Amino acid sequence: MSYALIIAEVRRGVFEERNLDTLGICALLGKETVLLMPDKPYTFNENMYDTIIKAKTEEEVFLNPLNIAGIIEQVISARGKPDFIILTHSSSGSESAVYMAGLFSLPVVTDVSGYDKERNIFFKSYYSDKIFGEFKSSQEGTCILTVRSGSFKEFVGEKASAPKVEFIENVSVSEARTFVEYVEEEKTDIDITKAEFLLSVGRGIGNKDEIPDYEALAGLLKAVLSGSRPVIDKLWLPKARQVGTSGKTVKPKVYLAMGISGAFQHIAGMKDSDCIIAVNKDAEAPIFQYAHFGIVADIHKVRDKLKNILAG
Amino acid sequence: MNLLVFTKRVPATQEEELRIVDDGKAVDLSKVPFKVNDWDNYAVEEAVQIAEKTGGTVTAISIGDKESDEVLRRAIAMGAKDGFLIEKEEILHDPGVRAALVNNFLKKEGIAYDAIFTGVQSEDDQFAAVGGILAAKLGIPYASMVIGIDAVEKDHLIARRELEGGLQERVKITSPCVLAIQSGINEPRYVSIMGIRKASKVERKTYKGADYSENANNSIEVVRWVYPPKKGAATMLTGELDEVCKQLLGVLKEKGVYQ
Ligand SMILES: Cc1cc2nc3c(=O)[nH]c(=O)nc-3n(C[C@H](O)[C@H](O)[C@H](O)COP(=O)(O)OP(=O)(O)OC[C@H]3O[C@@H](n4cnc5c(N)ncnc54)[C@H](O)[C@@H]3O)c2cc1C
Repeated sequence: MSYALIIAEVRRGVFEERNLDTLGICALLGKETVLLMPDKPYTFNENMYDTIIKAKTEEEVFLNPLNIAGIIEQVISARGKPDFIILTHSSSGSESAVYMAGLFSLPVVTDVSGYDKERNIFFKSYYSDKIFGEFKSSQEGTCILTVRSGSFKEFVGEKASAPKVEFIENVSVSEARTFVEYVEEEKTDIDITKAEFLLSVGRGIGNKDEIPDYEALAGLLKAVLSGSRPVIDKLWLPKARQVGTSGKTVKPKVYLAMGISGAFQHIAGMKDSDCIIAVNKDAEAPIFQYAHFGIVADIHKVRDKLKNILAG
Repeated sequence: MNLLVFTKRVPATQEEELRIVDDGKAVDLSKVPFKVNDWDNYAVEEAVQIAEKTGGTVTAISIGDKESDEVLRRAIAMGAKDGFLIEKEEILHDPGVRAALVNNFLKKEGIAYDAIFTGVQSEDDQFAAVGGILAAKLGIPYASMVIGIDAVEKDHLIARRELEGGLQERVKITSPCVLAIQSGINEPRYVSIMGIRKASKVERKTYKGADYSENANNSIEVVRWVYPPKKGAATMLTGELDEVCKQLLGVLKEKGVYQ
């Protein structure tokens, strides 16, 4: 039986929206869709899957690469090998995908953002999203994929009938890696998700000494200052101001990005802003693909000129 | 604790115009500057800090051409004891091949370790895969997106993994293990030219990749390279700087965020 095994991404009782992308690529692949998830109450449209396999275990056990591999072995011994094992390109999804690839000696392509059905080719970004590789598996049998969020959800649809539901009764739990607890982000007084106007700075600002001048510009514009991950990693701005998958998802009226290249982890956190304006010295920067307005220029010059106009 | 840390020399493509050549068979990187993979810089720093605290050593390992010696010297300047280069001329696009090479290398050379650190991903291929594949092949546990190491005990570590939207999870993982280190976990120390020069005097060993190629066969292949699909193109604001900035303020006014 030709099928694709989708590993659900769940977290603290929520069936993540990114699961639409793993389902969407299955629709394109034209495979029977078998969803594997923990046997816990999650809210989602079950009718989009052909079969749902529920593993009787805790969510944290399921989200551990050492355990999920054993669960999948059980699925395979019952149903045979899938054509694809598909996960989200998230923290836990990519972690489990690559571990399984090693364990089962299977090919893996991560961060897949496109599929060409005729040529049976997967698109994966390279080199700061400036080039894409067209990948294919060079061997027969199962291939593991992780998919980029937002890439395939438009292709999902409901099935004609309700899914078959099956259960995995016994899940063995690894002692080599165990969940301890969740750690929440510290609460701060600034909430960039509430701002109508964000001035967001990236690695392009060059160094920490530039921050006060961008703060001043934000002040003059009555905008809130936020940043891309490298700016937060380098402690130029506090963590609460990070935009992106591992930071905040923002939807301001205007998102003004200065010196940000437009990596997908950043884009995912701001693409639904009403209006995106990007300033970058590189005309090929991927962020211009998502921006409504673009300026190819040195950001410091733009900053200083704006400050001049606004102060004068 | 004795640690192995992988470090890779990558093209710094963020600000470069890239050209696809040979009918889509290659990307011309001949004019692009190279540097250490940003994530590996954090991994090396973390390894060195742990070795300093627990009294062990760090060995840096790189797969790549001769030029990759540069990132080994850099790791030594940061505090690694020595460096191994597994020499491979061609770019390896299948992370399974890289992991198989290392797996064979560690076993054949009988290299001992308590933990292996990698960066979460390399900037060039963005695969985020070698560490996990290797861990499974070595039969040891794995954790990725490690943004904090809260405790190092005799037989285990407590690591914090970064999830989405600011959430983290704390996990207990037995050693030896493979950890993929996320950027921001520490503040990598500054490396001076002098430091790198001094590091040049420390011996780095070079091994021929071909000697560790058993089962290191491509399981995926790149058919060709293409430019990203053009989405809705932005309206470009052009002209003199003064003119451009006034247009920008005009847009802000129109959107109602600036009077
Ligand atoms: C698991 C994971 C989670 C991640 N989460 C996030 C996240 O939440 N948020 C996030 O942002 N990233 C995240 N990243 C990192 C992401 O992949 C990119 O590395 C990051 O977004 C790049 O930030 P940047 O655009 O500021 O820097 P770069 O990619 O280095 O881009 C800098 C840009 O500045 C331009 N520039 C430089 N100097 C000037 C100048 N003088 N004038 C004009 N332009 C200039 C350059 O042309 C370039 O385009 C994550 C990565 C991983 C692996």
